[in-house]
Amino acid sequence: MNPWLAGALWGLVVVTGAMIVAAWSTWFERKFAGAMQNRPGPTEVGPVGLLQPIADLLKLLQKADIIPRTADPVLFNVAAPLGLILVLATLAVVPWAPGLVPADLDIGVLFALSISSLMVVPVFMAGWGSNNKYALLGGMRAIAQAVSFEVPLLLAALVPIILTGSFRISDIIAAQADGHWFALWPPGPGALAFVLFFLCSLAEANRIPFDIPEAESELVAGITTEYTGMKFGLLYLAEYMHTLVSSIMAAALFLGGWDGPGPDGPHWLLIKSLLLFAGIFWVRWSFLRFRGDQLMNLAWKKGIPLGLAVVMASALWVHFT
Amino acid sequence: MIPFAVASLVLLGSGVMAVRTRDLVHAVLWLGLALVATAGIYVTMDAGFMAAIQVLLYTGGIVTLMLFAVMLARPDAEAAPNGQLRAALAVAAVFAGVVSVVLRSPDATTGAHIETQVLGAVILNQLALPFEVLSALLLVAMIGAIVLARKKDA
Repeated sequence: MNPWLAGALWGLVVVTGAMIVAAWSTWFERKFAGAMQNRPGPTEVGPVGLLQPIADLLKLLQKADIIPRTADPVLFNVAAPLGLILVLATLAVVPWAPGLVPADLDIGVLFALSISSLMVVPVFMAGWGSNNKYALLGGMRAIAQAVSFEVPLLLAALVPIILTGSFRISDIIAAQADGHWFALWPPGPGALAFVLFFLCSLAEANRIPFDIPEAESELVAGITTEYTGMKFGLLYLAEYMHTLVSSIMAAALFLGGWDGPGPDGPHWLLIKSLLLFAGIFWVRWSFLRFRGDQLMNLAWKKGIPLGLAVVMASALWVHFT
Repeated sequence: MIPFAVASLVLLGSGVMAVRTRDLVHAVLWLGLALVATAGIYVTMDAGFMAAIQVLLYTGGIVTLMLFAVMLARPDAEAAPNGQLRAALAVAAVFAGVVSVVLRSPDATTGAHIETQVLGAVILNQLALPFEVLSALLLVAMIGAIVLARKKDA
């Protein structure tokens, strides 16, 4: 097939799928939080509130689009769509089943990591472009956090690469066939690297307990303070999508991707990533946020040494087996 | 050819904008776009590994740090032109000379596709010594930076 046409079709399918999952995950999160706090959550729109995301979308579309007079209009307007585009671009290298992948790059993991390292740029644009002290503080915190957690994230992502000897994500998943998931095998470095990778991607996506950039009790809403209507919706969606993409990457790199009991296939990758995604909500509604200095200590004094240790351990494992 | 032309135009345009704009924040962001466009040129040359590293280190790392520095400094006044036109022209002339020499050498135009695995093997086997020397150099720079930053409370 013509590569442009194939790309367009893949883009349509993957982006639509990701959007649908992200939209209804807001419903799921509200129901889940409701259940944890002994209240019903959304109930009014549709059966058990299932049409709530559509109602939210219609509401956001009707809101006035306000650009603050002192804002930098270009940065302010570009930030929201750019964030979403970058997050969605990562999905291009995720293989759903053997051969079922939009782009099977031989540097797949690197592509995903380098795209996600760009995610701080739209955050900066939003924080700076709003010309609001809360937005700026939120942006500064987000960048400090992203730069710090980038290093342990890369170190943790090196572990499956070293164990497989390939940057290609489909090779990494194939190397975990028949239950030899890197989170379980080899014992030790794999499990630690999985936990480290997952925590660091939570920090990169600014989720609780790593959400001091948003910290509504002190910063109003961080970088989203000045945003209204659908642009706010896009920023919010980008953050959700970032969490979803992180879950998919963690499931592909450490939990065997499409491998599972019974027939292998895309459903296993989907089930694993959605379970991780739900786990993030669970964490979010159970824990408090860290303080800034605690976060930095966690990244620099615990995360990086742990990352170096698991990289060394997996290199030794490969060398001696 | 078309992707190369697009990437080159974006690179040139964003490079000019990075120099021309008076707004420091915009300049840094244009620089980031120029570095991404450079990665795009690497992709058209079938050097995906270089492209990914370019984005990861330069745009994701260095531009991010520059943005952070700008945020901490909060430049309120617009930057005035620094009057370095003559120096800039001299640097550009030297660069053009180097490029023309490189382009005339026979190695420059082979355009061979290099597998990422081959690249890794070459760097860690034949070029292991320069690679390690480079990392020692970076370590020295890092220790130097720490020493400079700690000077006051020592």
